[in-house]
This record gives sequence, C-alpha cells and structure tokens, in this order.
Amino acid sequence: MTATDPATTPGRPLPLDPSLAPPGTRNFRDAGGIPADRWHADQHGETLVPTHCCFCGVQCGMYLRVDHHGKVFGVEPRNHDINRMRLCPKGINAYQQVNHPDRLTAPLMRRNRDEEFHEVSWEEALDHTVAEIRRVQGQHGNDAFGLLGGASLFSEKTYLVGKFARVALKSRHVDYNGRLCMVSAAGANKLAFGIDRAGNPFSDILLTDCLLIAGSNVGECFPVMTQYLWGARDRGATLIVVDPRETAIARTADVHVALKPGTDSAFFNAVLHVVVAEGLTDEAYLAAHTTGWDEVRKTVADYPPARSAEICGVPEEQIVQVARMFAGADKAMAWHARGVEHHSQGVENCLTIINLCVATGNIGRPGAGYGTITGQGNGQGGREHGQKSDLLPGGRSITNPEHRRQICEIWGIEESELPPAGTSMMEMVWQMQRQEIRGLIGICNNPFVSLPNHATVKDGYDTLEFHAQFDFFLSETAANAHVVFPVTVWAEDEGVMANAEARVVKHNKAQEPPAGVRTDTWVLCELAKRLGAGDKFAFPDSRSVFEELRTASAGTVNDYYGITYERLEETGGIAWPCPSTDHPGTPRLFEDGRTYHPDGRIHLQTVAWHPPMDPYSDEYPLSLTTGRTVAHFLSGNQTRRLGALVEQTPRPWVEVHPSHGFRNGDPVRVVTRRGSEVFPALVTEAIRPDTVFVPYHWPVPTAANALTIDALDPRSKIPEYKVCAARIEAADRVDEVPAPPTAPGHQAYPETQVSRTDPLPPTSPQGRGTAERS
Amino acid sequence: MMGRTIFIDPGRCIGCQACVSACRECDSHRGKSMIHLDYPDEGHSVASLPTVCMHCEDPVAPCAEVCPADAILVTADGVVQQADTTRCIGCANCVNACPFGVPKIDLQAKLQMKCNLCYDRTAYGLAPMCATVCPTGALFYGTLDELRAERPGVQVADSFTFGTTTVSTGVAMVVPADKVRWPVPGGLPVVEINGRDVR
Amino acid sequence: MTEPPQTAEPSPPSGAAPAPGPAPGVTADGGPSPQAPAAVRRRAVLAGTAVSVLLILAIVFGSRLLRDFDSALLPYAVATVFLAFGVAYRYTVWISAPGARRLFRQGWRSFFSAANFRRAPTALPRMIATYLGFQKFLGARSHARWAAHQLLFWGCLLAAAITFPLTWGWFTFTSATGSGPGYEMRIWGFEIIGFDALGFLGWLMFHGLDIAAVLVIAGAAYFLWRRMKDRGAITGQRFAYDLVPLIALVVISVTGLLLTFSSIFLHGGGYQFLAVLHMVSVVFTLIYIPFGKFFHIVQRPAAVGMQLFKYTSRRTGEGEGEVLVCRRCHEPIDTAPYVANLRGTMRDLDLGFDEWAEYCPRCKRVLRGAAYLDHVKKGFK
Repeated sequence: MTATDPATTPGRPLPLDPSLAPPGTRNFRDAGGIPADRWHADQHGETLVPTHCCFCGVQCGMYLRVDHHGKVFGVEPRNHDINRMRLCPKGINAYQQVNHPDRLTAPLMRRNRDEEFHEVSWEEALDHTVAEIRRVQGQHGNDAFGLLGGASLFSEKTYLVGKFARVALKSRHVDYNGRLCMVSAAGANKLAFGIDRAGNPFSDILLTDCLLIAGSNVGECFPVMTQYLWGARDRGATLIVVDPRETAIARTADVHVALKPGTDSAFFNAVLHVVVAEGLTDEAYLAAHTTGWDEVRKTVADYPPARSAEICGVPEEQIVQVARMFAGADKAMAWHARGVEHHSQGVENCLTIINLCVATGNIGRPGAGYGTITGQGNGQGGREHGQKSDLLPGGRSITNPEHRRQICEIWGIEESELPPAGTSMMEMVWQMQRQEIRGLIGICNNPFVSLPNHATVKDGYDTLEFHAQFDFFLSETAANAHVVFPVTVWAEDEGVMANAEARVVKHNKAQEPPAGVRTDTWVLCELAKRLGAGDKFAFPDSRSVFEELRTASAGTVNDYYGITYERLEETGGIAWPCPSTDHPGTPRLFEDGRTYHPDGRIHLQTVAWHPPMDPYSDEYPLSLTTGRTVAHFLSGNQTRRLGALVEQTPRPWVEVHPSHGFRNGDPVRVVTRRGSEVFPALVTEAIRPDTVFVPYHWPVPTAANALTIDALDPRSKIPEYKVCAARIEAADRVDEVPAPPTAPGHQAYPETQVSRTDPLPPTSPQGRGTAERS
Repeated sequence: MMGRTIFIDPGRCIGCQACVSACRECDSHRGKSMIHLDYPDEGHSVASLPTVCMHCEDPVAPCAEVCPADAILVTADGVVQQADTTRCIGCANCVNACPFGVPKIDLQAKLQMKCNLCYDRTAYGLAPMCATVCPTGALFYGTLDELRAERPGVQVADSFTFGTTTVSTGVAMVVPADKVRWPVPGGLPVVEINGRDVR
Repeated sequence: MTEPPQTAEPSPPSGAAPAPGPAPGVTADGGPSPQAPAAVRRRAVLAGTAVSVLLILAIVFGSRLLRDFDSALLPYAVATVFLAFGVAYRYTVWISAPGARRLFRQGWRSFFSAANFRRAPTALPRMIATYLGFQKFLGARSHARWAAHQLLFWGCLLAAAITFPLTWGWFTFTSATGSGPGYEMRIWGFEIIGFDALGFLGWLMFHGLDIAAVLVIAGAAYFLWRRMKDRGAITGQRFAYDLVPLIALVVISVTGLLLTFSSIFLHGGGYQFLAVLHMVSVVFTLIYIPFGKFFHIVQRPAAVGMQLFKYTSRRTGEGEGEVLVCRRCHEPIDTAPYVANLRGTMRDLDLGFDEWAEYCPRCKRVLRGAAYLDHVKKGFK
C-alpha cells in the first residue's frame, strides 16, 4: 500500500507540487525491461517470428517481435490452435529475458568457492572443465562425475544430455529436473498403459461432460488451459476440483473437494468404492480391456466413504457426489498435476485416478480420457529421449538388453561401454554428500531453489570437488559453481518441445545470441570433442541433432520418425507416435482399445493409502504444502528478473486460515523438522485450517524448499513436496527476499527489482492487485 | 447500441493479470498498464475483477464532463479517449469523478492516462491487447453475436446504478439471464465496509 | 507552441477499419462546443468584441494615433484583432463549463488571497517558472519531447515578443543620423535604449527573429519526425489537429529565414513572393490559434491556477488536516477543498453520484466487485 504521503513528512517544507492522488492511480512506473522514457516505438521493418512460449507444458504459440537490428523487443499474440492467441503474464513477459541486462555473456570461472568469479575465455573454461572431468574420473572412476539436465531444454538438447553422459562422460549418473516434476505420472502411465503421455488432446476437454481436475491449480500454473475448462462448462460439463486450497478454478467449480494434503489415494479409492457399490462401473470395458480389476475392486472395498472422509477431512457426501457425477457422465475426463504427483505415493495417487477412469470406461474416446499436465515446457519431451537415469532415447529402458543393443548400434559404441542405470536427482545429491559423486555438470536447472530440504542440497553441492553449470542468468546454483557457461535463451536457437498433449511443436530462432554466448549444443559438443568423443558429437546445429533423434526413436513407442522440422512448421505441431512422414500423428491414444503393453490391455494396479512420510505430532500438527503462483516459474531464475512479474508478486508468503488468529501481513514463522523461515501471512478462508501453503519460487532465506522433506516415492523417486508436518508461530520480522545473483561487477537490473523488498504478502495468491503497488 | 466492444465476465476471471502485462505491450503507452485488476473478496476467496474503461454513453463520459481543460475526447463510435497531452493539466478531476475508478494520473508528468480500448490495435482490426490474451475469456472483444457464438445464450448488461443514478456504458458485463433488465449495482450506496454496516 | 501530442483524436492510420470522426458531445478538435448554450455564446461574442475593441484602441494609442503604425504590416495587425476575438470567445465558452468555471474561480481566489501570499510569497512565481516556463512536467513524459518543446516554446515566445509590438506600431527604431549605425529603440514613442546596429546588441536586435526561426525549426522538425516514426504518436493523429500546426510553424520560420537570406545574399531576389507567403502563413496561424491545438497556449495557465489551489489548500491545513481520506480504506485522495470543488462540479453537471468522490478509485472498484459477487453472480454461471 502507499499510505505514506511524502509531502507531509513532518519537519519538511511543503514542496511546490505536493502531489496527491489516491493509491493505484498515480506514479506510473515502467514495469518492463525498457524504461518508458527510453522506449521509442519507431519500429520500422519489424518482423514477427512465430514460436512458442518457453515456460509451461501448455506451449502457447506466440510471435516474437524483432526490430530491424534483429533484436527481440516485444511479443504479439499468435493464433495457434493450442492457445488461440491467449497468453498468461509469464508468456507475455517472456521476451524480456532475451536482451536482459542480467544475461551472462562470458564464461565465469574460479578455482575454489572462496574466490570471486572472473570472466574467462571459452577455451579456458572448456579446457579447465575437461581437465577436471579427467581428474575426477581418473581418480574415482567414471561414475564419480555426474550430469543433471533439465526439462526446459529443447528435446534435441535433452537427447544430447543423455548421449553426452553415456558416450562422452561414460558415466551412469545422469538425471534431470523432470524428476522433480511429473515422473510420478510417467511411472503410473507406464505401469497402466505401457506408454508415457496424456491420453487425450486438450481439445477433448471441450467435448467432455464431466471434468475432474486433481491437484492442479490450472488457473495459476496453466492459465491458458483454463479456456478449455471454461469451454467445457459453457457446453454444460460439470467441473470437479480436488485441491486443499480454493484456487481460482476451484472457486467456481461444481464440486470442490478440499482434502487434506497427502490423502489423494484414500479419496480416489473411496470414489471408486462408491462407483462399484452403486453399480456404475463399465463392466464390459473392464472385461475386454483390462487386467487386475478384481484385485482393484477388492482393495477399494476397504475404503468406504466414511473411512476416507475421516482420512481426507472432507464430508462423506462429497465423495458420493463426486462418484455419481464422474461415473454418471456419458463422457468424463480426469487431468492431474503436481498436487497428486509430488508425494511419496505419487505414482500410486496417479494410479487411483487411472483406475477411476478405466473402471468407468472413460478411456480413449473423444471427451473421455485421462491426462497429466506437464509443468515444464518440455516436461513431456524432456523425459522421452534419454536424460532420465533409466531411459534411453525413444523411451527405451536402459536395463532392457534389446533396447541397449539398439541404441549402441545407433550411437556406434560397444554395448559394454554403455553404462547401467543411474540414480535419481535427489539420490545424486545424497551421493554427492557421500562423495560417491565428486564432479557435476548442471544444465538448465536450479536445485538450490527447486530441490527439497535445502540444507542437504547445499551440503551436497558444497562437497563437490568440481561443479559446472550452464545457464543464461546466474542462478543460485550457478552462483555456487566453479564454472558457469553462458548459453542461449530459447529465442536464440531452434528446436522442438513436446507439450502436455505430447504434441511436438517447433520453436524458431528469433535473434542471434549476444557476443560471448553459445548454444548448449555447441558447448556439449566442444566438451565431447575434448573428451575424445568428437566423432559422436559432430552436430553443427539443432536440426542435425533432431535428425539423429528421429532415427533413434524410430520403431519405439515414442516414435518421432515421421516428424520433421518442415512438417512441424507446416502443421503447428504433431503428436507422437508418428512413425512415418505421411502419418498424421496420434493426438488421442487407445481409440482402438489397445494399450502399448504386449497384451494390449490396461494393467490396473491396486493402491493402499499410507500417511505422508513426515509424521504429524503435537509439535508439528499442520500440513505444509507448496506450489506455484501465476507470475513466477519454477525456481524463478527467469521470472524473478522480469519487472512486471516481480511487481505482480514480489515475494513469497504463507497462506493461513483465519482461525490461527493472524492478521494479513503479520510475520509468521513456519517451522518444520528441517528448518524455519518467516513469511508474511496471507490470511484467507480459501485454505484448510489444518494446512498452510508457501509458494516455492524464491531462494533461501525465503525458500519453501528449505522446509520441505526429501522423502521420495519409491518408484518414481519424486520428492514429497506437497506435504510435510509443520507448525506456525508469530515472529518479529519477515525474511527479506535476496536479489537474484549476477555476474561479478553487475547488479541485478534495478528497474526490475523495485518491489522485491515489499514486506507485505500479495493481496491474493495470484499477486498484488494493481492498486496495491507503490 | 452495442457494437464491437469488450464484454467483462468476472465469474470467469482467474486473476492471473495477463491483461495487466499485456496492456503494457501496447505501442501507444508501452511500459504503462492502464487496466485494473482487483481482488474484491480479499481474505475470503480468490475472486478477481478486471476493470477497463467502461466508455460511458449516458451520461456521456463523466470524466470528460468534469474535465476543466476539455482534454478528454469522445470519438464518434463512443470511445472515450485518454487525455489529450497538450491540454491535460493533471488536476485529477476525472480520476476521482469516474464512477468505475478507471483513470490513472502521472503526477510528475501532469497527465491523465486511461484505457482507450486500444485504439492503436482496433484501428488495424486487431482486438485490444487485454482481451486478446485473456486466458479465460473474462475479457472478450467482439460483437454480442460473436460472444454468443462462443457461449450460447449468454446475457449481458450495460447499465449500472450508483445511488439514484444509472450510467449506461459502451462496455458490457455478463449477467445471469434473470438479471438482464436490471441495472448492475455499481457499489453505491455503500452498505457495508469491512464487515461493518454503514447504512 | 505545439506540445507533443500523443494520442489525440483517432483516425484510421491507413484508411483501415473503423472510421471515427470527430466527436459529438464533447469538443471534437478544440473548436467551440456545438452545444454551448445561446447565453454562453452571447457572452462569448460580447467578450470577444470587447477584447477586440480594446486591442484596436491599444494599437491606435500605442502607435501614437497610428503615427508609428507601419501600413505594410496591416494584414498582420488585422489578424491579431481576429486572434483576440477568437481567443476571448473561446476562453469565455471554455470557462463557462462547470469544471473549468469552478477551477477558474478557485485558482483566482488563491491567486488573490493575501493570506496565501504572506505565507508563501514565492510559490506563484516558482510555479509559473516551473509549469509555464520550463515545463518540467514534460520531462517526465519524455526528455526529448521536453527539449524539443522548449525550443518551440522559447522560439515562439521570442518571435511574438518582437513581432507583435512591431505590428501594432508600439516599437519603433529611429536613427538620428538617418541610416544608422546609431539607432534608438522606442516603445510608445519613449526612447528605451540606443545601440549600434553594427554591434552585438544591434545584431541581436535585427536577427532576433532569425534566432527564433532556428529554434522553432529545430523543435518542429523533431516533432514532425516523431509523428512519422513513433507508433504511439501515429496512432490516431489527425492532419488538421496534429500536423497542420507543425507545418505552419515550419513554413513561417523557413519563409522568415529566407527573407533574411534574400535581403542579405540575393539583394532582395524573390523577396516579394516570400513576404506574401510568410504573411499568409502567419495570418493563417494566428487565426488558427483559438481553434486548434494552439489553444493549449491559452489554457495552460489553468495548470498554475489548479496547482496553486491545491497547494494553498494543503498549506492552510496543518499536517494532514486538509487531506481527505477514502471513507473505506483511509488512504489519502486529495485535499478536502479540492474534493468539495469536484463534488460541486459533479452536482452542476447532474452527475448524481458525487458522494462517490469520497471513495478512492480502488475502493470504488472493490465495492462494485463485491456488489457484483453478492447481487449478480458469485461464480461461473
């Protein structure tokens, strides 16, 4: 708020212009990259480059505006059929990263962490990195050097990350930050269907009669997808939202199930229990297309609504209501996201939802189906082509001898040279602590913000003897590294991503990278060359990588063979599997009733609910759950530098129910077994009284992930971000958000950081209202 | 009466503020956002309300009427423009007279600015930036027929009551079918403030 | 003095899309409001006539019963009489509207308040320097536009200060020796200074208009360039309102400079033609002033009146005593006399929601949003 009136400061004479106007109407400040006064709209010769947003898994189409000097300077909506010109605030501001003053433009290096970074030449940085790789691997074996990729990379680059680890580093230790995102859904999909992707395209949502959204704050995390939800409702569909918080889509939903975090499988088992009890199952479908139904039916018999209502903290009638609504609909559809996946039962939570869809026969029809909404831009594509510790390109398993043989043939290596499966991202951090991994290259990730239990993560990374990081802004993780490679943003290279519908879309290059910046592809190939694997990494550009990726995926479930850059440019996106260049792609799966298991059936799995891994006690009676806010993306390294987004949501907060007696803005200490931090309270009735919420985009000392638990799902190894035991108490002062790190001698672009130190919570989880800005 | 205009439906709004960021991208006031996004149910729900200029038709533009410098012009098609830069003296009359709370003022530049229905875009046949990007259709630009093609049977209202005065506007709001003939309450008379009855 | 207009009245940039003409109701392009009531129009004609008559008398007596009047400048003098009529007419119509009338009164009341003067004697001159002279507020809009506008402003001011008295026969330059170089300048026949035409002061005296022309050309050229390049400016710019004034200034300045050029280098070649062209452009511009963009020259002092009114009402209240805060959120809105003045204006205009002015815009929106949630619909349907 802007209560203070500078003109009336006591003891100072009244200025000539004692300007006074109500809050929210005065003091324009440019919240973008370019101060308004320096903005001149004399853009003759502007061109529009069609591309897609770099952020979430919806992959909205957009045009980047490029001026006659070849520089990206703006955005224009694009009528791509995914988003029909709509964009969210992140997408609109995304272009401001491209020519942002905080960009890294020279490699940074230091011999140890006590020194400051200094800028070095590419030669020196690459040579030093390779020398360190050789040293670590020479002394401790090849597996002592690890590689961590990211799911915001183009698929070509994720393919290279996997190949680089196995062929150039010859290390088993490769994984990626999709491990923190939707691997639970991936695991469930593989188990049930033998294929890892959403079953239906977004457009099917418009055809459904009943839409169930579980654990997804669609309105904030996938804002543009909301149009599909509303479109379905306009056509008469009912909407069920399962979420501990009353989010924007939950607010107006027909049913909002505000269950206690960590109880999803108990809830969905009970829903299925009612479906079975009321005879609403599709027995013909189950008999023809599934295995394991009898076991599932027996298991859900143990979850009568009364029991689950007690576990979930929701009314018994609501469970019955959801069951009747979902099973009673002609065509019903379920979509879920991190809310059900980020659990020590993540895979099982997804399986209970699959069970519900399958039992009601809602699979593989227009308007009837199931899907997961991937969080990262290439959350889908990033997990398909080999940067996951246990996968090889084309979704092949690294433990399957046939798959290993195929890939070794494509890569031209001996099968004995191909390392075995590695470990997951969080496990790699534990291995760093134990010095089983002594060197690491991180590409496109920021674990200092995104991994749970920050103290452990910091310890693991600090124990590393050598750490290099690729990024275009100096992330909190990169700021702790020995070498930082400045790489391109998405608009400076071309490549493909696969969105939440498994639709492969092409991003186009809009401008040349700044001097001193290289593509990730170039850096990986240069490193490989110095490691003696140059012949396997002779890739001049993304296109040549994609050609190899296509071939490598041919004949697999994740078949990209029929997808070419030319076809993508013509069509605006093709959903895999697409086995030949005249194949239209496969937007909807299972239309013929067959899955990708050898028997063609859906393998139903039984799930028994168990409580979250962090036990509640008198000391820690509440559930802490974490999530996103609309103005920021993942670890915030990109969005915490964009003025408009910082202005919308300058800082994290703790969302508490009024019953705790706090007032808005009060400093509240959130304590878990791993740490404590002070946030301003956002007091709202839109959250369960036994639950508190903190968004996770900020670094320590305002990091939600300093509080969360590093317990993993046994199958998917996803951390249990969405629930841990906590307590809250009054505190004196809120912890201040630190400025984003920058290269030595630079200051985080001050124009964008004006609001960062605002001690107050936003007006609403979506941000500060436009009148609350100073 | 209603031609091509903006239709506002707060019931669909998710409060994401895409409109606020998009407004800054307009070439005619780049870097400065004219749209308002408020959370009127603070502490209770995440409900949100986007406010663009309503382009009042009767009385025609109270902001222009109270302007002492004749700085606010209304075009033949009913678009109330932002203040003419040569005339505006920055007195803030329009800011405080507007019943919808729309105009903003740059105190240093002595200049009022407000939503002008994106004249720089509509002149080229493009929709205003806010309504183009709105992820939910809470802001829709087009004719009533075009709106109904997307949302069959939707009803809109274009008059608002403030006390005893009814203001009819060029921009309309979506209302339930039984509320069409009924002017939408504009908030005045104020009946309660922060849970306290002030009648 | 054209100030950089941003978006004035819209016109389709390339003949595309909707064709918004000038407006009904509110003033279209600065011309008198078509709805000005008959009484106002009568008063305005009266005021215009009175001012014109006064100017004629001033010319007659100032030129010592036309003895000093240069009949070659007659068209210019006639144009200034029309200008005086037009300005007085427009001014009267303008301040007859409720908003302007009330502010006009409050401004002058603050101006004439002896108490104000005692408390802050320097406030008014400082405000005039800030808002009228150096136009600091323009710098907050754009530094380049501020600089260009300053060039235009001082150029035009200098030109007017030289030419108007000359035209009216108030200034005369006489030489005791017939043709110089010793000259003396007289105003209304009284000798002010004597100077040497070949000296620096003499050079300045004779080339003042050339200097003014250079300033104006530089400023106007910037604005013309901007109007061709800047999308913000191009949007909705109108030829008659935004471009004609700039073109007129450029034509006046260029022909003026060419006159000097002709007399110095061409021995008067083309002088006659240039003189006519110059005169036509000046006469046109003078007559155009009350009806187009240039009227802001006449209006701009209202900014000082407004500022003085707000300033003095802040000053009289000790601390925040005179600041009205929003009835709901208690954030300051503006000074209490200002809000009272606005409410009066709204009542004059039959805007029946003047009570609403005591809530800040945000609270107006929030209260409307809450009313919508309570009475129209809470959710999706």
